[in-house]
Amino acid sequence: MARSTGEDAQALFHSLRSAYAATPKNLKIIDLYVAFAVFTALIQVAYMAMVGSFPFNSFLSGILSCTGTAVLAVCLRIQVNKENKEFKDLPPERAYADFVLCNLVLHLVIMNFLG
Amino acid sequence: MVEKPNQVNAGSKSGSPTMQATSKPTDLLSQHFSIRSLKLKTKQQELLIRVTILCLVYVLAFITRLFSVLRYESMIHEFDPYFNYRTTLFLTQKGFYEFWNWFDSESWYPLGRIIGGTLYPGLMVTAALIYWTMNVLRFAVHIREVCVLTAPFFASNTTLVAYFFGKEIWDTGAGLVAAALIAICPGYISRSVAGSYDNEGVAIFALLFTFYLFVKAVNTGSLAWSLASAFGYFYMVSAWGGYVFIINLIPLYVLVLLITGRYSMRLYVAYNCMYVLGMLLAMQIRFVGFQHVQSGEHMAAMGVFFLLQVFYFLDWVKHQLNDTRLFQAFLRITVSTAVVVGAIAIGVGTASGYISPWTGRFYSLLDPTYAKDHIPIIASVSEHQPTAWSSFMFDFHILLLLFPAGLYFCFKRLSDATIFIVMYGLTSMYFAGVMVRLILVATPAVCLISAIAVSATIKNLTQVLRAKPKVAQTGSSRGGSSGKASSKGSLDQSQPISKNGAIALLFGAFYLLSRYAIHCTWVTSEAYSSPSIVLAARGAHGNRVIFDDYREAYFWLRQNTPPDAKVMSWWDYGYQITAMGNRTVIVDNNTWNNTHIATVGRAMSSYEDEAYEIMRSLDVDYVLVVFGGVTGYSSDDINKFLWMVRIGGGIFPVIKEPDYLVNGEYRVDKGAAPKMLNCLMYKLSYYRFGELTTEYGKPPGYDRARGVEIGNKDIKLEYLEEAFTTSNWIVRIYKVKPPKNRW
Amino acid sequence: MARSPLILVALISLIPLLCHSFSPETPTGRRILVLVDDLAVKSSQSLYFKSLSSRGYELDFKLADDPKIALQRYGQYLYDGLVLFCPTVERFGGSIDQAAILDFVDSGHDLIIAADVQSSDLIREIATECGADFDEDPAAMVIDHINYAVSENEGDHTVIASDNLIKSDVILGSSKIEAPVLFQGIGHSLNPANSLVFKVLSASPATYSANPKSKLSSPPALTGSAISLVSVMQARNNARILISGSLSMFSNRFFRSGVQKAQSSTKHEKSGNEQFLTEISKWVFHERGHLKAVNVKHHKVGEEDEPAVYRIKDDLEYSVEIYEWSGSSWEPYVADDVQVQFYMMSPYVLKTLTSDKKGVYSTSFKVPDVYGVFQFKVEYEKLGYTTLSLSKQIPVRPFKHNEYERFIPAAYPYYGAAFSMMVGFFLFSFVHLYSK
Repeated sequence: MARSTGEDAQALFHSLRSAYAATPKNLKIIDLYVAFAVFTALIQVAYMAMVGSFPFNSFLSGILSCTGTAVLAVCLRIQVNKENKEFKDLPPERAYADFVLCNLVLHLVIMNFLG
Repeated sequence: MVEKPNQVNAGSKSGSPTMQATSKPTDLLSQHFSIRSLKLKTKQQELLIRVTILCLVYVLAFITRLFSVLRYESMIHEFDPYFNYRTTLFLTQKGFYEFWNWFDSESWYPLGRIIGGTLYPGLMVTAALIYWTMNVLRFAVHIREVCVLTAPFFASNTTLVAYFFGKEIWDTGAGLVAAALIAICPGYISRSVAGSYDNEGVAIFALLFTFYLFVKAVNTGSLAWSLASAFGYFYMVSAWGGYVFIINLIPLYVLVLLITGRYSMRLYVAYNCMYVLGMLLAMQIRFVGFQHVQSGEHMAAMGVFFLLQVFYFLDWVKHQLNDTRLFQAFLRITVSTAVVVGAIAIGVGTASGYISPWTGRFYSLLDPTYAKDHIPIIASVSEHQPTAWSSFMFDFHILLLLFPAGLYFCFKRLSDATIFIVMYGLTSMYFAGVMVRLILVATPAVCLISAIAVSATIKNLTQVLRAKPKVAQTGSSRGGSSGKASSKGSLDQSQPISKNGAIALLFGAFYLLSRYAIHCTWVTSEAYSSPSIVLAARGAHGNRVIFDDYREAYFWLRQNTPPDAKVMSWWDYGYQITAMGNRTVIVDNNTWNNTHIATVGRAMSSYEDEAYEIMRSLDVDYVLVVFGGVTGYSSDDINKFLWMVRIGGGIFPVIKEPDYLVNGEYRVDKGAAPKMLNCLMYKLSYYRFGELTTEYGKPPGYDRARGVEIGNKDIKLEYLEEAFTTSNWIVRIYKVKPPKNRW
Repeated sequence: MARSPLILVALISLIPLLCHSFSPETPTGRRILVLVDDLAVKSSQSLYFKSLSSRGYELDFKLADDPKIALQRYGQYLYDGLVLFCPTVERFGGSIDQAAILDFVDSGHDLIIAADVQSSDLIREIATECGADFDEDPAAMVIDHINYAVSENEGDHTVIASDNLIKSDVILGSSKIEAPVLFQGIGHSLNPANSLVFKVLSASPATYSANPKSKLSSPPALTGSAISLVSVMQARNNARILISGSLSMFSNRFFRSGVQKAQSSTKHEKSGNEQFLTEISKWVFHERGHLKAVNVKHHKVGEEDEPAVYRIKDDLEYSVEIYEWSGSSWEPYVADDVQVQFYMMSPYVLKTLTSDKKGVYSTSFKVPDVYGVFQFKVEYEKLGYTTLSLSKQIPVRPFKHNEYERFIPAAYPYYGAAFSMMVGFFLFSFVHLYSK
């Protein structure tokens, strides 16, 4: 059982990789950005586990800043992705403007919450 | 881009909105005719009519709430609004930062209360903003007038939101009906009459607005709408504790969509953006603070948030793979890991106390009998009682009948938006059944769903009326409109209703709606417009008698007691004493410290000498009791007394409820329990009452509120002395004597 | 026009009266009303009265049933002290009655009651109100067959020589009373419910209270050291009351007579009565043991002004000045047992104040980490001294939103993450917009 799972995982990994290579470049950039945010969030969780959650608001704002960034980026990714039929009517410029607006709000609130 | 289908809908039924102006048919018809004569194009006409109706509804919603101002005067009602008024006054005088950091030493003596951190500031900030705006515009109004009229103003705004919401989930007709219904719905008016300056007044607006924006965001999948709904949520959080309803309903809705296979990218965008930003914004409110990540009540939202991420990820992987076998393997791995990790996280969080358990009020929502058994302080509040059927009828009237019909129409035309309103309606109806005051939350949903029923019915009937002579024409016009409408149209056509029948049904509908309007106006003027701080009664000759005893007593306190005097009363009157009497109180309506309230309850239910010790330890200078024996005012302290005993006994077991009862019966006459006849509350209420003849033909000391002759007429006070009794004996104030000089 | 000089004269004549009234600045009142049964008392007790008037008191002798006597006129008390040397009076004259006398005490004036054998119910009731219950038998006297005074012995051992004095320099003065005090009269017991009254001169264990003329049929009601001969009480408003069971102990005869206690060989030339009663009258009339506290100050360390509210964890300084009245001027009071509490339902801080020997007591402490309405409380109750009960209310507030620590080192990674997200946002925007 374990072995078949391992094999499956390997096969999975390969096919995923090959499929992903076909993704357009602008989406890849977004993916990179999301990965960066998630990575930063994970580092913070690890740090919190070590040091303790004393300045809890700082911790939360740090985490939520990363989460928010990642989520918003994913939303942008969904909206600019040409394959998504649901968003055909939405021009990428509008999607990007919304994205910037949300990010501005996010970071302003984070600034307020940080200290 | 959302406008398109609506315009199509609107265009196909130009006449219908006039018919739905149910509340004021004559006015609107005359409007309609005058416009006709101007010979505008149909679309413009339709727009004009719609705007006119909305304006009228807007004004109607405002003026129907002004009964109390006309009957009495422009003043704040009830208990909690006085606290809100006091804090608003502070905010306008001292500015926002002082308000934010306000430590109030006048309430909860000697503990004090951090006002800034223990209230929902939305209402106060809103009123202060209105006030400042007015001042900038050179309208010199007093802040009290602003506070009195805030709730009606927001009720008017709610009608607008209801219109847009109705338009979003059904069509403009439903929107207009919803606006009209909600403008005069008693369930909402009960909390938003002029002077009822309470959180709910703005919170219902915020609630509906948030829902509207969220539904809009789900329909469009736009980040901007989602952001707007996050701000709506933020406003709601800042205004009322009922925001918990939003943060649980929306995840539930998302979950239902997921389960029913209606998951879409739009939903993902709308929910995630709204959740993350809304949560972040909500954390800026000090009173809410970290609850979004710590309290169990908010965990559902977080769970759904993660679930959506997983769902999206799976969806994405599935999309990338295009291979079922591989995907299943992938699914197996991820799901099993996710379940294990999630279980561990929740287990650790709960065990370590990081995730706080649910609060009592929340429990009592899920289990209506919980509060009765466990938390007397919640059960003692009358608005936390389960709702009686009569009050449903009273507050909703025909909406109660229209509600299931509306649900039927919603199920007939399922979409993301109608699913939402159905869920909102069903959950809020459940909660309304559990707690009286949550009728308020259900009201917008009931109005919207009923509006759908009314609108759809009338539209069908008018179509029947119109369609008969010119079948071909309507058929062709329908062919051009959207798919949903045409399918429904054909369904309608298949039902053969004769023209006369349709007319009869239409008249029936109008009759019902006009009954509704009459009922609403009657309820508003009779039941919901009394300020409860000034009492009115009918005199022997049918004349109106006003009892202004409360304000008399508070004014006396303000004028005749030292500024640092401490007043002990039951907690109901705490806010009023601090706001109007400007004196320090021991407990008030913000019931955050059960022990402190229990101490007061214990003092009230002890013998005088024991009570004296307690009062000395709390530095009490004056004791205030409310007594209705002379006037027949039934919500006085003697009738609340058993709750004092229960709450006091909950913390201090020396106080036992059976000591105050005789064979399980609560009585104050000769047959009352000896402890009852000699406890402090009894003594203070009935002191010197035995000398007074209240009613002709009855012995002296006849208690009109309870209809009995009191049992202990010879009451001597040793440690207190009567300081003031108002003209109708409703409020009695006693001074605590200093310790004896020579003993 | 003719009337105004008259009013002026009336006002002027009032001025000395006003100047003499009791005031907290000079707690020793000067005007004393002495009510007697018989004006002969004035001469038979003249030594005692002389000691009072030599200390500056104005004594006003009146018969107790004089119909003109009054304690107050127009709401103003005419006297600062009252001496009741009228054990047998059944009814006072004029407007005085039991309630008037108790009101007199309750408004802060001093009282000396001397009862005697055959005391009237009126005097007994006044004493009872002050916590002393005289023996109910009107003919009873205090009898002691062991500690009687040899010199005054008439065979029934009713003249007692007692040296059971309270050990308090404040009440009885600093010089020791060597000779026993002679006492002949009725005994009383103290009401156990009253915490303010205490014995000054108590009887020996061999004492009992009974009618000396009749044979003792049943055990006496009062025996032994339960009997108090002379008691004092200090009311909560610092009025002082002396209750004595004997009028004759104030008499010139007892003042002058020598004393020898039975079963004791030492013979004193003069009894202790004069010293005892003089000293205790000084105490009763506030020449000793009267404290006042002024200038209660508190402020944050490093500041001068008193704040309206403290913040949790503030460092504060508290000081109070305490003076004692010496009979003519306020002298600094020196002690090391004055404590201040920082009190909210229970004391959160309890500190002994340090004295600078000039009357200023001060201390400093940190406000506890609890918010609420606190009180600075000084409750100083020491035997013989007036009670000092100071309380000053002060709210303690929590931190304001901008008073918390701002940049915590432990949180730097979070700051870093948040800012890196912002930077990341800009970079990403740049790349996203120009990548097409």
